[in-house]
Amino acid sequence: MRLFTWWLRRALSGAGTLVGVSILIFIAVRAMPGGFAETILGPFATEEQRAELAERYGLDQSVLVQYWNWFTAALSGDFGTSMVSQQPVGAELASRFPVTAQLTVMAILAAAFIGVPLGVLAAVRAGGPGAGGRGAVVGRLAGGLGVSLPEFVLGSIVVYLFSRYALGLSVGGYVPLGDDPVGNLRAMLLPAAVLSVFAISATARTTRDAVLNVLVEPYVTAAVARGETPWAVIRQHILRNAAPPVLVLLTTVSAYLLGGAIIVEYLFNLPGVGSYVVHAVGRRDYAVVQAGVLLAAALFIVLNVVVDLVVGLIDPRLGVTTAGRRT
Amino acid sequence: MNQLTPAEPVVVARDLVVDYLAAHGPVRALDGVDLAVDAGETVGVVGESGSGKSTLGAALGRLLPSRAERRHGSMHVAGHSVFDLAPQPLRQLRRDQLGFVFQDPIGALDPTMRVGAQVRRALRGRQPSPRRSTRDAVAALLDQVRLRDPARVARAYPHQLSGGMAQRVALAMAMAVQPRVLVADEPTAALDSQVRDEVLDTILALTRAAGTTVLWLSHDLNAVARRCARVVVMYGGRVVEDGPAHAVLARPAHPYTHALASSAPSHARPGERLTPIPGRPPLLAGPAPGCAFAERCRFVVDRCATERPPLARVNGQAVLCHRAEELRSTAALPLPARPTDIPAEIGGGR
Amino acid sequence: MKRLDWLSRCGLICLMVLVAAAVAGWFGLAGDPAAIDGDRLRPPGAAAWLGTDDLGRSLLPRLLEGIGATLLLSSLAVLVTAVVSTALGIVAGYVGGAVNEAVLRLVEVLYAFPSIVLAILVAAVVGPGRPAAMAAIVLVTIPLMTRLVRAAAATVASRDYITSAVVSGVGMPTMLVRHVLPNVGGTIAVQGTYALSIGILVEGGLSFLGLGVQPPQASLGVLIAQGGIYMVAAPWLVIAPGVVLVLAILSINVLGDGLRDRLEPREARSLT
Repeated sequence: MRLFTWWLRRALSGAGTLVGVSILIFIAVRAMPGGFAETILGPFATEEQRAELAERYGLDQSVLVQYWNWFTAALSGDFGTSMVSQQPVGAELASRFPVTAQLTVMAILAAAFIGVPLGVLAAVRAGGPGAGGRGAVVGRLAGGLGVSLPEFVLGSIVVYLFSRYALGLSVGGYVPLGDDPVGNLRAMLLPAAVLSVFAISATARTTRDAVLNVLVEPYVTAAVARGETPWAVIRQHILRNAAPPVLVLLTTVSAYLLGGAIIVEYLFNLPGVGSYVVHAVGRRDYAVVQAGVLLAAALFIVLNVVVDLVVGLIDPRLGVTTAGRRT
Repeated sequence: MNQLTPAEPVVVARDLVVDYLAAHGPVRALDGVDLAVDAGETVGVVGESGSGKSTLGAALGRLLPSRAERRHGSMHVAGHSVFDLAPQPLRQLRRDQLGFVFQDPIGALDPTMRVGAQVRRALRGRQPSPRRSTRDAVAALLDQVRLRDPARVARAYPHQLSGGMAQRVALAMAMAVQPRVLVADEPTAALDSQVRDEVLDTILALTRAAGTTVLWLSHDLNAVARRCARVVVMYGGRVVEDGPAHAVLARPAHPYTHALASSAPSHARPGERLTPIPGRPPLLAGPAPGCAFAERCRFVVDRCATERPPLARVNGQAVLCHRAEELRSTAALPLPARPTDIPAEIGGGR
Repeated sequence: MKRLDWLSRCGLICLMVLVAAAVAGWFGLAGDPAAIDGDRLRPPGAAAWLGTDDLGRSLLPRLLEGIGATLLLSSLAVLVTAVVSTALGIVAGYVGGAVNEAVLRLVEVLYAFPSIVLAILVAAVVGPGRPAAMAAIVLVTIPLMTRLVRAAAATVASRDYITSAVVSGVGMPTMLVRHVLPNVGGTIAVQGTYALSIGILVEGGLSFLGLGVQPPQASLGVLIAQGGIYMVAAPWLVIAPGVVLVLAILSINVLGDGLRDRLEPREARSLT
């Protein structure tokens, strides 16, 4: 019950953040030089279009009412009409979203299944014999390199290597997962791999730190003193207690991946939300930009609230105090 | 498993030297500890912070932090040379022969796991009788450490327990396998003074019933002397005095023990000033050239600083002091008469 | 005081070399970045050490110009972030209450945007260019830095010596500058270092998408984006700025890790 009220508070706070985010986007787009109608419709709009827009967004009404109309419409999936294609933005986003989601999910899975074990290994070895040796430096350097390798550098090189030399995987040629799963994976594997490098390294680093923090806890000493095997200590005590910071990091990483996906989609020419938004900025298609940005922020906020719930289930102390974990 | 002859002590440390590797060089924690404890004994190990008592306790189960390193000597527990064991036999030894109770009772329990589940892990299928379920075994264990309402405690998370309750749970887990040796490292230092006595009573009653040898590490000479048959005093990483509790307390043979006994509040009569020990404990980088207490000792002579004192037998005690015999014969170490009606418990606190 | 470990010192040296290279480029020691040699997409060789680009310009002076532009842009932005975050963080952490709540809300809202997404929004509003890149770096790094400075200041505010200073009648401005600021200095230094690497990353990403620094001005992101077009014929155009960019971010991160380890050392424990 305590846990539930705690989580409810976190969820409400997330909703508040979402409202803040939407206000920021609303103000940003309206604050642009040239006025809102100009911005949305472009300079060559007809009077008819202007009148329609004014009616649609209630431009003759107060700013507050305008915001409210826009925000409630966005919540129900109505993001307005693209100035360039004259198509509803919501439908376009919905058709492109699976590509971005698939990329992000593939990278997150890689982070969880490769990054977490690597991090645990690094931490346990850092505490064991031979700590601070050559292996530790190599690990630190490799982890550091991973988080320092931006997608646009790594991706450019990967594109070069795979288009210059026939290495089996093609660049481009996206097909939806439902139509041709094998073809889809062939097209998505490289972009997802490029996107994963940062996620894996960042996850490994945070996992290592989290596990190192748990390793000095007295209950770990107590478990070792009871003669439990290292594997049992890791599984029973360390993973559970190190999980909250790692989960929180995975949320942050997925936010980062939503951003990284934009670059990867642009680079590999994938029809996802990211490339849509980037091209929209170039075409000054602001209805698309504000919808895409709002969607990304909203996804991150929702993810945070969900992770809070999971963390609360793992750590029973969270429901008791707002101060959170003992450190 | 049991390679023990009846005469052989269950814990034997021989010239044990342990260093901590700090950033600015090694710090000596144990500077040649010699200690033998017989099966079933209850030994109080007394010393200030930094005297090496916790390191000694950890050395029993080879639980030293990774930056600690054994330089010399040996530690035998139940016939096994602890520092020479392979990982698997070492775990076996920790599991079957050793129990530990630490200072921070709530910290020693995993915060994400219910108490019952943790106690069950300590039992590891080892049930007193095959007919009882694990839940009953857990409840029986918790009942044994005199926890009221064991079923409720088993369902609780560690943060929902008081310090005293958590320490009883930790004790139940340590005693679940009826170990031969229990190391209790300041088990009551983090507890409220009201529950200290109760927890200590439980520890000692339980270990006596199981025939478990107890090493109780404490900074409180009087509390230890009141409950243990034997007292071991540590200073500067060495055992400086070792003997029957009543003898050590009544006629300390080492100037440090004497200073410790005189500085205890329970020795003061109302209105009387306590005698603090001047100076600080030493921070050794290597073997102490002479007696580690020389700098703070009222009876210091030249050779104390340059020559390591040999073991001397004075009364019933074993003492590391050049002038032990001399000080005894001149009765230079008098103690104020001890008012017996004041509980020795006051000396606690960290 | 413990010194930086050798890895962090390597990072520091590497960073100083990059700054020296940028300064050398500034003074034209490697030639004029805009000068056209005539030969297009020439591979690296004696005439042009790093080859030439699609217009026949030598890459080396352009690369040095790009390093300078990226480092200057990111450093200025991080400087702005450091000032704003320190002010917000210290006041929120020390004063607490409604101020703290307001700052936390603001930070929370900014933090909800993935960094590149926020940068794209800024570029959309301000219009692509250097100001957009700088503003994007500032807005992306402010929530990260403010959070940690605030937490550090809140910890300091709960210490006994602050209480005793309050009791002895030290005024709020004096308190913040004399007592709180020095104690969060370490956090600012470490987070400032990390912010610089994030700044370089954001500039690179935004310019790569064509929304940051605009050609013919050079920056590492611009060079990589433009080189990408000729990747198959002239891979050096991407590899050289790419390597420099990764090197810059890596050395700054390693330096940040070294600073952090020095400021908050950790104990290690064995499981066996």
